[in-house]
Amino acid sequence: MSTTTPSHRRDTTTRRAAGPAGDAPCGHRTQAPSGRSARTLRAGPGRPRSRRIAYLYLAPALALYTAFVVLPWLHTMWLSFFDWDGVTVGTGAGLANYREVLTDPALRSSIVHALGFIGFYSLLPIALGLLLAAVIGGRGGRRHPVSRTVLFLPQIIPLVAVGVTWKWMYSTDGIVNQALRAVGLGSITRAWLGDFTWAYVAVGLVGTWVMLGLCLIVFQAGIQKIDSSLYEAARLDGAGPVQEFFAVTLPGLRAEIGVALTITVISALASFDVVYVTTGGGPGDSTTVPGVLIYRLAFTNGEVGAACALAVVLSALIALIVLAISRITREKT
Amino acid sequence: MSARSPRRTAAMCALLVAATGLTACNGLTPGGGTKSAATSGPVSTALPTGNATLTVVSSENAGTTKALAEAFHAKHPNITVDFQYTGPDDYDKSLNLKLSSDNAPDLALLNKLGTTVKGNLVRDLDPYTRAYGWDTKYPSSQLDQWRASDDGKQLGTGHLWAAPAGFSVVGVYYNKEIAAKLGIGVPKTRAEFEAALAKAKAAGELPVQLGNLQGHSSFVVQSIVDSVDGAAKTGDWVNGKQGSTVDTRGGADAATTLSDWAKKGYLPEGANGTDLPGSVAAFTKGSGLFLFDGSWDAQVIDKAAPGKVGFLPFPGADAASKATGIGTSVAYAIPAKSKNPDLAAAFLDFMNTPEAAQIQFSTGFLPVAHADQVKAPANSVMNEVTAAWGKVNTDNGLVNFFANTDATMNDTLTSQGQQLIGGKTTPDAYLAALQADWLKGHQ
Repeated sequence: MSTTTPSHRRDTTTRRAAGPAGDAPCGHRTQAPSGRSARTLRAGPGRPRSRRIAYLYLAPALALYTAFVVLPWLHTMWLSFFDWDGVTVGTGAGLANYREVLTDPALRSSIVHALGFIGFYSLLPIALGLLLAAVIGGRGGRRHPVSRTVLFLPQIIPLVAVGVTWKWMYSTDGIVNQALRAVGLGSITRAWLGDFTWAYVAVGLVGTWVMLGLCLIVFQAGIQKIDSSLYEAARLDGAGPVQEFFAVTLPGLRAEIGVALTITVISALASFDVVYVTTGGGPGDSTTVPGVLIYRLAFTNGEVGAACALAVVLSALIALIVLAISRITREKT
Repeated sequence: MSARSPRRTAAMCALLVAATGLTACNGLTPGGGTKSAATSGPVSTALPTGNATLTVVSSENAGTTKALAEAFHAKHPNITVDFQYTGPDDYDKSLNLKLSSDNAPDLALLNKLGTTVKGNLVRDLDPYTRAYGWDTKYPSSQLDQWRASDDGKQLGTGHLWAAPAGFSVVGVYYNKEIAAKLGIGVPKTRAEFEAALAKAKAAGELPVQLGNLQGHSSFVVQSIVDSVDGAAKTGDWVNGKQGSTVDTRGGADAATTLSDWAKKGYLPEGANGTDLPGSVAAFTKGSGLFLFDGSWDAQVIDKAAPGKVGFLPFPGADAASKATGIGTSVAYAIPAKSKNPDLAAAFLDFMNTPEAAQIQFSTGFLPVAHADQVKAPANSVMNEVTAAWGKVNTDNGLVNFFANTDATMNDTLTSQGQQLIGGKTTPDAYLAALQADWLKGHQ
């Protein structure tokens, strides 16, 4: 049974596939053996008709992608070569916007801040997520649905609301300082978002809080996929939970770590909402990120060309880093 | 077959290019498609006799414009006012698009002139000023704030682009309970003000409440600059008059004073991490002898601490010094593409009636005219705000906000003010940064 069914199915597929190809422009081919015709079809990309059909299937997605991703992106690149305030007639600026963007010290420090956020948005949540996934989301993982839901909640809250909430929590009389006072640490309380040393860390930890749930869910799903016999084997070999984690769970989650790293690194580099709402880049310029500067350039300063140039530079940087991440994870697997 | 592929690719590219509008000549340059409507022609002060609708877009949420619109409709039942509100942040971002659309509103609130004048988006109001005699009905300092040269760079002179619909003024609120407890009278001079700060500090009270997360230390700085240098000189700088500088005696005094206050502990520890509403809430709960803030918060303060708070213009060198105040108006412009400009102008003229004055006042603004006729409940801080406003106007001491001088000044004031309070920059560097921003914006 088990051997005949698939072969039957394959036959049917071949025959069905042969049909349209056989009816193709040259009528005499209908007589050709079905096997050969199917082979020709499989070599398909060269055949105009099948290509046309393939494009037809791709068309809706391609049209949407072109309209809402490709064209705006090209438009952004186009605008980056102009000196334009968004209203009056722009003038060509050549590469001046790029020169301005790449030599501005404020911009360089904002990129350093964004790179630093990778620690808070990516590394910390991934490390904590792995730990939590191993502890609460291990084999058979439905044991802690409540804590999993609670940890995932930040992901479904709009980031602006997240920012507003944390702004209150970090304020002079906010819950963070109340908690510190309650445990006798009143001496270190401060308005966290107004402190030149701590504002950056405070904002970064909001990112950790948001990203942790996502990492946890991804890793937990990955753990369910790991062959249980590996855990049994590890246990038979006398591995404890820690050894089991490093020998089985961690290697098994390599692909998931790659996914989590990609998503979180993008949100670290493209971060805007949380920073804009909590500190607006301050105090001083201690938490400015490229996203905030792009917004300021375009909407406050009326330098749309420079904003677009910065956006192009930022997306190129993100693309490079994501490419590097995917290469590294591919080499490992 | 092999030839098909490149052809198709070429066709796709052509399609792409056509769709981006790169082939159309006027699409090549951004903003090239915008055409300004003709704004000349005779004007009339007569109202339409048939039914008409006046469209107003605004980011003012105190209810003032809405109440004025209702009063206008009650007076002229054949005219309906369609009031459309958008939150302040989104409003400024989308305003230029609204103004340049074919369905442009008849009146649009301007928070600042921005690029509206340069972009030919608003109508020159000079013909209406002459027709209605606004130049005699308003103090010149009030209308001048909305005058600008045709490129929009030099403010305070040139054509009138918007008419005021209610003012705000920034001054100093003080906690009467703390002052009475410490035996501090209302300071009439700068020296008395500083003495009051020292006395409060010595008694363990916070001298000045401040929220600087969004850069409101600029109120302190500008109050001092205005009072030391005088309204005319500071006004020139704010208006972008060529050759002006903020690095003056007043500027140095202001920056040094703010830095000193921070060092002496006159300002709250978490000032840089507290926003303006946060500082107002703390002030009404009794934290801080003084608070530099605008009349827009008078009602909130009245509600939270009724009868406990007073208001004064920032004191000058001696009791005879002219009063100064930071302030501007909510102002409405008539878009160049408005279809009912005469009707819009009639509504603007309605703003300076006694009836409108009471509406503006009771919704939290200082009236554009007839300030002497409006009434607030006894014991309300609004009475002291009105008195201060009257004094500032008599002395011609109103100066527009530093933050309004150019597009980027608000960000610079915020960042630099935070650094000055945090001890990360010096008063000299602070002034230099402000002046650098000013030069960039007014060249």
